[in-house]
Amino acid sequence: MEKITIPIGPQHPLLKEPLSLLIDIMGENVLGGDLRLGYVHRGIEKLAQTRNYVQNVPLIERVCGICSHVHTTTYCYAVEKLLGIEIPARAQYIRALMCELERIHSHLLWLGILCKHIGLDTIFMHTWHNREMVLDIMEELSGGRVSHAANKIGGVRFDLDQDHGPMVVSILNKLRVEIDKLRDVVMYEPTIRARTQGVAPLSPEEIRQFGVVGPVARASGVDVDFRRDDPLPPYDQLKFSVVTNQAGDAWARTLVRVEEIEESMKICGQILQDLPDGSVEIRASRRVPAGQVVVRAEAPRGELIYFLRSDGSDSPARLKIRTPSLTALSILPKQLSEIQVADIPVVIAGVDLCIACADR
Amino acid sequence: MVQKVISDIESEIGKPYQQLESIINEHVLQIPSEDLRQVVKVLTQKHGYNHLSTITAQITKEDPDYIEVLYHFWKGSGFTLLLRLEKENPVIDSIIDFIPGVDFYEREVAEMYGVHFNLRDGTPPLLLPDDWTEGPPMLTSEKE
Repeated sequence: MEKITIPIGPQHPLLKEPLSLLIDIMGENVLGGDLRLGYVHRGIEKLAQTRNYVQNVPLIERVCGICSHVHTTTYCYAVEKLLGIEIPARAQYIRALMCELERIHSHLLWLGILCKHIGLDTIFMHTWHNREMVLDIMEELSGGRVSHAANKIGGVRFDLDQDHGPMVVSILNKLRVEIDKLRDVVMYEPTIRARTQGVAPLSPEEIRQFGVVGPVARASGVDVDFRRDDPLPPYDQLKFSVVTNQAGDAWARTLVRVEEIEESMKICGQILQDLPDGSVEIRASRRVPAGQVVVRAEAPRGELIYFLRSDGSDSPARLKIRTPSLTALSILPKQLSEIQVADIPVVIAGVDLCIACADR
Repeated sequence: MVQKVISDIESEIGKPYQQLESIINEHVLQIPSEDLRQVVKVLTQKHGYNHLSTITAQITKEDPDYIEVLYHFWKGSGFTLLLRLEKENPVIDSIIDFIPGVDFYEREVAEMYGVHFNLRDGTPPLLLPDDWTEGPPMLTSEKE
């Protein structure tokens, strides 16, 4: 039997975004694979140097179409750190609320895609239907379903009124019922277990070697979450559990994300309960003092890091972005070995790729 | 704790390094580029700094003849190694054998800033097209 290399992408029904994969197979066995990025590279880091700090907020929001809010949160925090200002507590809580809602809808989106790849289209439809509830909340709060434009340097662009809290709680209560059902499906549905258990396991050592972060790392027992380990405010005020699993396979990655949805819903409830009074923004200078700062945040896919250097002018001298998807992609070739051809979609979906994030 | 790590590095390699306050919320240690592998070896194998968040390269207005390369490590808090490479001949040793996950970061710095990494099997393009001929895009003045 001879080795065959099959190209997947850059345009392929399996992929929601452009990525080129070259996968070596022999019969039904996958021998290995390689990947090529860059098909949605937009030069955002270079472009950011040509715009002022305020203009960069909507640019940064477009690094990713799923976790857009955590990008602007990290960027704005970096700028505020250089400005030496702290935004009002109420604004911090609203930022965190949006971050957690974003995590819920990102994980639901991912779960739907996984189920679709497995062939469970009904669960895919249900999952995405449930995701709509979260998008409805975000639209009601910010005006945008995916690009929320919630953040501005110095705070947030909108406040919550007295009806918003009950509305969010009411929708999340409905969602909780649905997530309970989904959790049972993931736990006990034989097809999901058969297609994910024991598939493409990653050891904690491999996770550390490749610097993999987020739910993929936590599903291999690596207990790291930047909301707890290096928290941006107000996460230091919030109580939550970091979900881990020791199995390291595609099933563990699924369970971790489902449990993280539940944890994020609890955080949302806590934020609404403890929401401080006061304003949601303070005035921020358009000129940023010279200096350099590194900010890490926990995006839905893991550690997001921004490096920002100001030379004292009104636009960044250097903005470096490393998204968690890039770390997940770095270990993908390793995962694409010693599996069956039928496992390829589950392995690719399992690491929750966001190519636009990785390409920037 | 970071002070202990720095003094360990200095005693292991046998020379003092300069600590900078150039990043407002992280410890920064400036080292010569030829010491990178030794320092990373001490950091990873002796002190468990296994998580390299990313590598940033930049050219500053104050020092336009050099490329600054920053290795952002993390273990409970951030710790950055800073190296300065001559812009005319930016060469540095790869650390891919210590940290396999550095592959994408080194390739990005190579294509965006023209830095050559020794001790690894080439740096194929990561984000730029295979037929890109216009040179490293970031190797121009910072705000063109």
